[in-house]
Amino acid sequence: MNNRQSSPSGLFLAFFRWFCDPRIVDDIEGDLLERFETRASQKGQRLANRLFIKDVLLLFRPGIIRSFKGYQKLNYYDMFLHNLTITFRNFLKHKASLAINLIGLTSGLTCVLLIYLWVNDELSVDQFHTNKDNLYHVMSNHTDASGIFTWKGTPGLLLEEIQVQVPEVKLATAYTDPHEYTISTEGENQRSMKVQGSFASKDFLKVFTYPLLQGNKEEVLKTNSEALITESLAERMFPNESAIGKTIQWHFRGKETGFIVTGILENIPDQSSAQFEILLPWNYYHDELIEYKQWGNFYARITTVTEEGADIAATSKKIDTIFKANLEGTNTEMFLTSYPDLYLRGKFQNGQKAGGRIEYVKIVSFVAILILLIACINFVNLATAKASQRMKEIGVKKSMGATKSSLAWQFLTESIMLSIFGLLISGLLAWLLLPEFNLITGKQLSMNLSWPFIRLSLIIVLLVGLLAGSYPAIYLSNLKALSILKGVKLANASGGLGRKFLVVFQFTLSTILIVSVLVIFRQMEFIKTKNLGYNRDNLVYFEREGTLTDQSEAFVGELKNIVGVENAAMSGFMVGGMNSTGGVDWDGKTEKDQIQFWEYNSGTDQLGLLGLELLEGHDFTEEFANNKEGVIFNETAIKAMGMEDPIGKTIQHYTGPRQIVGIVKDFTIGSIHDQVEPAMFLYNPEATHFIMARIKAGTVATTMPKIEALYERFNPEFPFKPIFVDQDYQALYASEQRIAELSKYFAILAIIISCLGLFGLTAYTTERRLKEISIRKVLGSGTWNIVALLTRQFSLLVCIAIIIALPVSYWAASQWLNDYAYKIDLNWWFFGLAGLLTLVIAWFTVASQTLKTARLNPATNLRNE
Amino acid sequence: MGKHHLGEFEEIVMLTVAILHGEAYGVSIIEEIETRLDRSVSMGALQTVLKRLEDKGYLTSELGEATSVRGGKRKRFFVITNLGKETLKAAKEQRMGLWNAIPDFA
Repeated sequence: MNNRQSSPSGLFLAFFRWFCDPRIVDDIEGDLLERFETRASQKGQRLANRLFIKDVLLLFRPGIIRSFKGYQKLNYYDMFLHNLTITFRNFLKHKASLAINLIGLTSGLTCVLLIYLWVNDELSVDQFHTNKDNLYHVMSNHTDASGIFTWKGTPGLLLEEIQVQVPEVKLATAYTDPHEYTISTEGENQRSMKVQGSFASKDFLKVFTYPLLQGNKEEVLKTNSEALITESLAERMFPNESAIGKTIQWHFRGKETGFIVTGILENIPDQSSAQFEILLPWNYYHDELIEYKQWGNFYARITTVTEEGADIAATSKKIDTIFKANLEGTNTEMFLTSYPDLYLRGKFQNGQKAGGRIEYVKIVSFVAILILLIACINFVNLATAKASQRMKEIGVKKSMGATKSSLAWQFLTESIMLSIFGLLISGLLAWLLLPEFNLITGKQLSMNLSWPFIRLSLIIVLLVGLLAGSYPAIYLSNLKALSILKGVKLANASGGLGRKFLVVFQFTLSTILIVSVLVIFRQMEFIKTKNLGYNRDNLVYFEREGTLTDQSEAFVGELKNIVGVENAAMSGFMVGGMNSTGGVDWDGKTEKDQIQFWEYNSGTDQLGLLGLELLEGHDFTEEFANNKEGVIFNETAIKAMGMEDPIGKTIQHYTGPRQIVGIVKDFTIGSIHDQVEPAMFLYNPEATHFIMARIKAGTVATTMPKIEALYERFNPEFPFKPIFVDQDYQALYASEQRIAELSKYFAILAIIISCLGLFGLTAYTTERRLKEISIRKVLGSGTWNIVALLTRQFSLLVCIAIIIALPVSYWAASQWLNDYAYKIDLNWWFFGLAGLLTLVIAWFTVASQTLKTARLNPATNLRNE
Repeated sequence: MGKHHLGEFEEIVMLTVAILHGEAYGVSIIEEIETRLDRSVSMGALQTVLKRLEDKGYLTSELGEATSVRGGKRKRFFVITNLGKETLKAAKEQRMGLWNAIPDFA
């Protein structure tokens, strides 16, 4: 028989040989061929071949397919257990290095886990609105001599015009920013409380996604006398009964207005930038509370939902045209900006978007990622350095017949297990630290184990584990057993440079962070102690409401009589200012002089109470009868108006003519981010919002209960809620305070991790130089000589790091400080101190290792040669 | 009882191996089944069953001499073990018991 002619399909034969169990491949192949030969002679070559292929395919089944795990069946489970045992023994044997390695990794991971939660939360603010992609807020750019000032406010009259005239706008709503109001239940046993509330027009709930639990979304907020309250407020106001149809009394300047509850809102989520518990009808606000319904009065917030795919620039233009047609000669411009963006990108400079919170989010996430990166590289580095101590183990295993892949697996499982262990610990740590972290960040974060969160941490951990294990797995398992056991040292040209680079990188970052912490804390200290032009110490105020509206003179009189109260007055002063107006005219005012003035209503002797310094003229005190027609400006205002010899001159305020009776020295109006702006005080005790009192230093604790008792005598049904001016001032810097706190932790973390990295490097290099050191000792070198020898290299690296870090940190610090109109000078000693600190920390880290090495008995290391 | 359970095809294969008596290898078993029972058997099905029966200890196998035919590959000859024989007998007795228990079977 001619073999050539009658051979079956080679492809399928090869396939069969490939998949078949090697123990039976020969005889089955024989069977196949025998059948093929018989068939070929009986039925012909082609049919035989086809049947052969069928046979092969039918043989492709479990039982005949080879095991893919190798020729010899190893006991994988036992091997795995064995590796685990060795792993644990190794961990136990090198407790210190294990601890160091884990501390680095876990602190980095913990930091990143927490920051991830925070960033995620920041990014989710206002993203829950279903209209978020088409949600646009109407903003206004006010141009005056000092530049462009961008504001969220718009004239309330604009709402209707937008709804009628702009087809691109599907829905629009007007509302006010949440403000604290006093509300109470009706009738006997009045229950009153202070809550955050807003006025909102009827489409508010269609524009924004605040679901109603009870009530009809289409119907609510249409009349002048209804209210929507949140579930939690309903529970507090009307415990155990239905709130729908109940009346809520709203207190404002001594008046009470009843609103009927027509709907219950779900509690406003933490991710909403607006936080309120009660919504009152915009119609009421507009009809009853706005005296000057003018196009120049920016009392409303308007948010619109535009049509899908509408041209926002064109729509902005239309709105602006409507506005300009109604207010001729205005220097103000209207435009639309994405509402969900406002929270993170709400800062405008010269009418252009200029970031905002997003900058902090970016910086914080960047630093967090850097820290994680360093921690991971460190982990890899230390694990690699440690692996070379296990050369003997590898040698023995190899000579016993361990294959390359089984050794590689051993190292990989070991490092992956270690990193997973690290993840578990850091998860636990993050969970424990979360309350503290919430305190710093002022959030209510929780660790909900969402899938992306778990996936991210698992990916990071697996990656780190793989990287850390890959050097020993690939490189060490590849070495020849004989050369390992003979004690051939590893060639180490490549690793050294990488490690050095890492140390420089880490210490650069640490130094930058140390400088940042110093600068931030000095600036915060400066903010806290800066003379603002008024005395904010022990200055307390509370709202004038209830009987205090008409009996406030009597109340202030009695308040002043309390021992411990230095002075008291009705006051319209508020940190950050409340009202601002452009409605002031004076002789010589030109077109260009569009000045916005901060406007404060003032009671008798308010300036004296605040501790403002009068430069000229007098305060509104009782001995002057013409207070009502008077006005007091600050220096900046006088300068801006270009007046000389201003006392006695008359200006035109939008409420009538006023005579300038005094000039006060400039004071800080809001935060010290901004320069002092023009401001004025008008005598108008009835319109003041607060009663303010200065308490004698050191007697706050004893005096406050007396004030409260007095308050309760006048206003028994109102909650007494005093606020210290200093608290308000500090609150302006809440986000800076948070950053200051966070940066402190960042710096500590970075230092810890950097030191661990340095420690690892020292351990590695000193061990490699043990013989050299021993020989040096034998030849008469002293302990300190050797310490100096070993330290020199690291000091050099750290110095390089410091030299790189200082200019970078100088640049970063001055960038940050540029945001403040008043700031500390960048002293050279910040940088000197930071550098020195870094160096000392580095020395301290290295010292333990070098000293240990230098003290070793040279004989122990040389004995084996 | 359960331990000694034989599938229908398993039983046929074992009986065929017994019939061939020392000459049983892959192709011969298939041919024997095909001629005696007029039933086509795929090599895959047969080889899995042979392997399984060998694993259970009912059959043992031995490689024969290499020849010039069949690509020079050796044959694997299967022989029934004592355990196999007992199992076959047990199976037969079970069937007989069942047959005998039928009262009247035309």
